[in-house]
Amino acid sequence: MIELIATAESVNQAKSLLSIGIDTLYVGQDQFGLRLPKSLTMDEIEEIVQEAHKFKKRLIVAVNGLMHNHHIDDVPDYLSKLDQIGVDAITVGDPGVIMTLQELNLSLPFIYDAQTMVTSAEHISFWVKRGAIGAVAARELTLIELESIQNKISVPLEVQVYGPTCIHQSKRPLLSNYFRYSQKNEATDKDRGLFLAEPKDPETQYPIYEDQNGTHIYSTEDLSLMPYLDKCVQKGLRTWKLDGVLLQGDRFVRMAQLFVAAKQAIESGTYSSAAYETKLYELQPTNRPLGTGFYLKQPGDVQ
Amino acid sequence: MGIKMKKPEILAPAGNLEKLKMAIRYGADAVYIGGQDYGLRSRAGNFDFDQMREGIAFAHGHQAKVYVAANMVTHEGDSRGSGEFFRTLRDMGIDAVIVSDPALIAICMSEAPGLPVHLSTQSSATNYKTLEFWKKEGLERVVLAREVSMEEVREIRQKTDVEIEAFIHGAMCISYSGRCVLSNHMANRDANRGGCAQSCRWKYDLFDMDHVATKQSLIKDDDEPFSMSAVDLAMIRHIPDIVGAGINSLKIEGRMKSIHYVSTVVNVYRKAIDTYCSDPENYTFDPAWEEELWKTAQRELASGFYYHIPTEKNQIFAKPRKIPQYTFAAQVIDYDQSTKMATLQQRNNFGVGEEVEFYGPGFIHHKQVIEAIWNENGNPIDRAPNAMMIVKVKVDRPVEPYYLMRKKR
Repeated sequence: MIELIATAESVNQAKSLLSIGIDTLYVGQDQFGLRLPKSLTMDEIEEIVQEAHKFKKRLIVAVNGLMHNHHIDDVPDYLSKLDQIGVDAITVGDPGVIMTLQELNLSLPFIYDAQTMVTSAEHISFWVKRGAIGAVAARELTLIELESIQNKISVPLEVQVYGPTCIHQSKRPLLSNYFRYSQKNEATDKDRGLFLAEPKDPETQYPIYEDQNGTHIYSTEDLSLMPYLDKCVQKGLRTWKLDGVLLQGDRFVRMAQLFVAAKQAIESGTYSSAAYETKLYELQPTNRPLGTGFYLKQPGDVQ
Repeated sequence: MGIKMKKPEILAPAGNLEKLKMAIRYGADAVYIGGQDYGLRSRAGNFDFDQMREGIAFAHGHQAKVYVAANMVTHEGDSRGSGEFFRTLRDMGIDAVIVSDPALIAICMSEAPGLPVHLSTQSSATNYKTLEFWKKEGLERVVLAREVSMEEVREIRQKTDVEIEAFIHGAMCISYSGRCVLSNHMANRDANRGGCAQSCRWKYDLFDMDHVATKQSLIKDDDEPFSMSAVDLAMIRHIPDIVGAGINSLKIEGRMKSIHYVSTVVNVYRKAIDTYCSDPENYTFDPAWEEELWKTAQRELASGFYYHIPTEKNQIFAKPRKIPQYTFAAQVIDYDQSTKMATLQQRNNFGVGEEVEFYGPGFIHHKQVIEAIWNENGNPIDRAPNAMMIVKVKVDRPVEPYYLMRKKR
């Protein structure tokens, strides 16, 4: 069984994603969750969970922020509400949230997601012993490491198979600060669509934006494991995330549809990646190159 | 005379044995060092076990503690041997280890029971529940994320009794610590395993793109490029707040920094903390302390996140002002009261006619002009040009071994 997880930016997009065969939706609110396509209201989350359950699918809600005191004060109510409306699981990266879950004694399970920090089986096992039902692997791991980790842990390891990866979170408003310094009047949100290029590599293009959690910078390429999906399955990596944080609307749905088809082909033993890769290139925005990130590197390449 | 305050610990970085001893001589209550493995400063001078033993003997002889930073974020296989590593540290008398990776925390707890564990700032602990979580797990202390404000520290202190350590001085990550892999992506170096290439301090182009990927830079010809470089933290003006907030340990950043830096910074905070705690009611901030910090500062100084979210004024754009202003010239190794002659070990070229400043533990300083220098054979020389050469100079006021001599750049 392969599980395809996709982010959703709205109720409508969630419905589309469910109708094309996505197994699990991923949404949240900026106050508690990080790196979301859109911050949804509780009413929207509730509608999505009902839709998902109609399709016998799951909804995961992001509660993976680094919580300051004023956030953690609001976490108990938020978790209780998510539990009450029937959310299937949450992602968590702050141990304070895990502590709160234990205190509230809710049946709401958590998937451990501390972004860059989740890099070994022993690390994940620590959280599994404390109740985690899954873990989100750091995007900086190689397939060799991911296979080794998945073989040692008793819960699914989520691997991102499509989309940009977040490579930096600052609490500082880095764009606003720069624009104030240089006396420029510019928007800093995601819709503004700004990129950074490295000083020695002008071809690079790292998306950067601000939201209430600070400044986020993303990878210069969108990850695509399309050519290696069957290899992932062989390695035991069967929990796949499609991240639409920077790809809006119907375009992301069509991209997801392609991965659903690939998944079905793999499950029926008829997968041949070439055709899917061609379609993926057609769908991919021209201003976002595709790549394999760290997946094909050797574990010793980056130290 | 007012009521005395309980003094927090001053925790200093020690990149090697010499820095460890100097930090303690200048008033550190504790030092943190790196071992050969499992640390985040692969290029800092790290300690082998024999050096650790010597450091512990010296520290404990001066009622000071030694902590070992083992704050690497481990990948598969990296934790191999760490159980034995932690046991060895415990058995030699290390006072605590500073860890961020739960894998290493679990190993340390099970393999080296009795060795206190402190949560590293790399874990970005930002709320009281997180501290409660780690307390329940058996940790003795949590190092707060540098993004925590003074008001939040006070609230955390009210809501948990686990020990709190917080940074008061030194360089800052521009990101939440641990949540930045710029270096991995841009330099093939793992920021969370000691390889940080400080990509945040680079200068970047900033642009937008249309749907056919045509780039339009927002940075015009004469504009300063985009950067994310943070100024350094210095809380010297806020000692009453820091002590009053109930922080148990005040941490100074910089295992890579020189003995000039470490001795100066520790000296300043020792003086300020002692002054405040001995008589809080009549305490006033002495601008001389801040001037002293500027002598070894490497960047502009600010109060980080303690009072507000840092603005553009707390970042480095364009050319930073020329700092540090002073250079380390020599260390006093002996002093003869009858002849008023100091024996010095040279650390940087200095010569007759130059103004120098001697300083020592207890915030003692005096400036003078070098009037004559004698080499080891007793012959007068104009300059002391060779690294580590031993010379004598006449001093205006008494000095002691381990006083240091600096000069303007």
